Amino acid sequence: MTDQNSLFSYRECVKEDNVNLSVRLGRIKLSNPVIICSGTFNYGVEYNQFYDTSILGAVTTKSYSLKPREGNPPPRICETTVGVLNSIGLQNDGIDKFIKKHLPEAEKLGIKLILSIFGQSEEEFSKLAYRILEIENKILAVELNLSCPNVKRGGIAFSVVPNEVRKIVRSVVRILKIPVIAKLSPNQHNLIEAAAAAKRGGAEAISIINTVVGMAVDIETFKPKLSSVTGGLSGPAIKPIALAKIYSLTREKILPVIGMGGIFSLEDALEFLIAGASAVGIGTANFIQYDIGKRIVDGLRTYLESRRIYDINEIIGGLKT
Amino acid sequence: MKLLKGEIISNEKYNDKLYKTSIFSPSICKEAQPGQFINVKCAPHDLSDPLLRRPFSIFDIEEEFNVFTILYWVKGKGTRFLSYLEKGDILDFVGPLGCGIDLKETKGNILLIGGGIGIAPLYFIAKKAKMLKKNVFFAAGFKNRDCIRWEKDLIELKVNYIVLTEDGSWGEKGLVSDYIWRNIKMFKDYDVYCCGPTDMLRTLQNIYKGSNNKITALLEERMACGVGVCNGCVVKIKKGKRGFSYKKICQDGPAFDLKEVIFD
Repeated sequence: MTDQNSLFSYRECVKEDNVNLSVRLGRIKLSNPVIICSGTFNYGVEYNQFYDTSILGAVTTKSYSLKPREGNPPPRICETTVGVLNSIGLQNDGIDKFIKKHLPEAEKLGIKLILSIFGQSEEEFSKLAYRILEIENKILAVELNLSCPNVKRGGIAFSVVPNEVRKIVRSVVRILKIPVIAKLSPNQHNLIEAAAAAKRGGAEAISIINTVVGMAVDIETFKPKLSSVTGGLSGPAIKPIALAKIYSLTREKILPVIGMGGIFSLEDALEFLIAGASAVGIGTANFIQYDIGKRIVDGLRTYLESRRIYDINEIIGGLKT
Repeated sequence: MKLLKGEIISNEKYNDKLYKTSIFSPSICKEAQPGQFINVKCAPHDLSDPLLRRPFSIFDIEEEFNVFTILYWVKGKGTRFLSYLEKGDILDFVGPLGCGIDLKETKGNILLIGGGIGIAPLYFIAKKAKMLKKNVFFAAGFKNRDCIRWEKDLIELKVNYIVLTEDGSWGEKGLVSDYIWRNIKMFKDYDVYCCGPTDMLRTLQNIYKGSNNKITALLEERMACGVGVCNGCVVKIKKGKRGFSYKKICQDGPAFDLKEVIFD
C-alpha cells in the first residue's frame, strides 16, 4: 500500500462520529467540551445569527439575579493591552424574565443552557433556586457566580470565604436536582480551599477563572477609565494566569474543572484541556471572533483526527511535567 | 447582520487625521439603513492588538457600485491600522448593526447637526432623506479647518448647509449649537438628527427642551461586542417620572430621542 492509499483509508475510517468529543463533569454530560462563559453571549440567541449555537457543548447565560439589576454607570468597558477591563455590574432582566421570555427562545433553537445566577446572600441564592425548580428539566446545570469582581457584598466576593462558598452551594443543592457549578475567582489565595468547600456543599464542578481585578487611568483627565475605578480583566492577557490556576486546582483532583480565561483559539483551548480542564469556556473572544465557538468545536475534531486520537478524554490532563 | 469580508476600494486621506475608506460589500449596500454601523477588526489577521473591534457608522452607500464608505479620525491603534490599508486589502467586519432610522416617518424638513466626526452618520441620513425628497439642512461644526476637504462631499449632496469653526478658519466663526440657538425659529418645522461631542448634545438638549420638535441623537460609547450581549455600551434613558434605565447603544440605538437621554 502506498502512503497516499494509507492516508486515504485513514481518512475514510476516521469519520466525524468516530472521534469522541463528549465529556463528563460529574453528572453533567456535554456533547463536546466547548462552553460559552457567562456574560459574553446572553443566552445564545443573538449569536445564532452567525452559526448554529446548539452545536456548542453548552452556553452559560449571563448571571441572573432575583430582581432586575441596572448595573454600573458607564464607562463600563476599557481596552488594555490584549485585554479588556469591564465593570458591567451584572445588568440583567431578573430571573422571572429569563424563565418567561429568554428560556423559551433558547429552547426553540435547541441551545443547551447552563444558567448562571447571582445573589447577594445565601437567602437570595435559595430563593433563586426555588424559582428555577419549575424549569430545571430544561437546563443542564446551574452555575453560581460567587466571584464577580464588580459586585461585592461587604467589599469581598463570596468565593474568598470558603465557608460562604460551602453554605451557598449547599443552599442551592438542597433545592435543585440538577448539577451545580461554582464559579470561583483568581483574585484569592485560597482557591483550593474554596473549591474543596464547594465540593463539601455538593457542587458538581468548578468554573475558573472569573476576571482578574485590574484598572486603567486616563492620563489626560486623571480619571480612572472605568466608572467603578477597578474592573475585571479578561482576554489573552489573563490566559497564563488562568492556566496556572487550572493546573494547580486540577492536580488536587477535587472536582472537574471548566477552564476559562483568555481562550482565543483552538490552540488555547487545547492548552487548557491538556493542563487538566474537563471543558473550556470561551468568553471575551466571542466579542471579536463571533464564530469562535464553532471554530473551536470543529478544530478539536480536526486536531484529534490528525493525531489519530479517537477520544478527547485522552488529552484531558495529559500534561507531561 | 453578518460576518463579512470586503475589499478596500480606496482609502482617501483628507488630512493627517481624517480618512474616508471605501469598501466593497453588496450585503451592506443592500441591507444597511441610516444610523447603522459596522464593527471592524482593526488588526491584521490572527493578531490581537488592538483586541476589540471598533464601531464605525456608515457614512455613505453607493448602491450602484456595491460600495459603502466610513469616515474616521485617526485617534488610536485601530484607526491607524485602517488608515494604512490600501486598495485590494481585505477588511473583516460585522454588520449592519444597530437599529436603522426610518426616514419615511419623519417630517418633510430635516435638520442635521453634526459636531466634529459626528458628521459621519448624518451624511448617510442626508443622502437617504434627499432620495425621499425631503428638504435637508446640514449644520456642521468643527474646531478648525482640518476637515475642509470634506466640504466636497457636502457639496455633492446638493443640500443647504452651513459650516462653523471655533476659530473661524472655515465657514462662520462659532459653535454649531449657538448657531442653532440663534436660528431656532427658522428650524421650527424641522425634525432634527444630531451627532457629536457630549457638550454639544447637552446644549442641544437644553435648546430643544419644551419644544415640539422631534430630536434624535446618535450616541457613542466604548463598545465591546456590538450585538447587545456584553452590556458595555450603555446610556442612561429616562424611565417614568424620575427613574432611568440603561439602554444599549449597539442594540437599542445608536439613535435615541435626545429629550430622553440623561447626561451625567
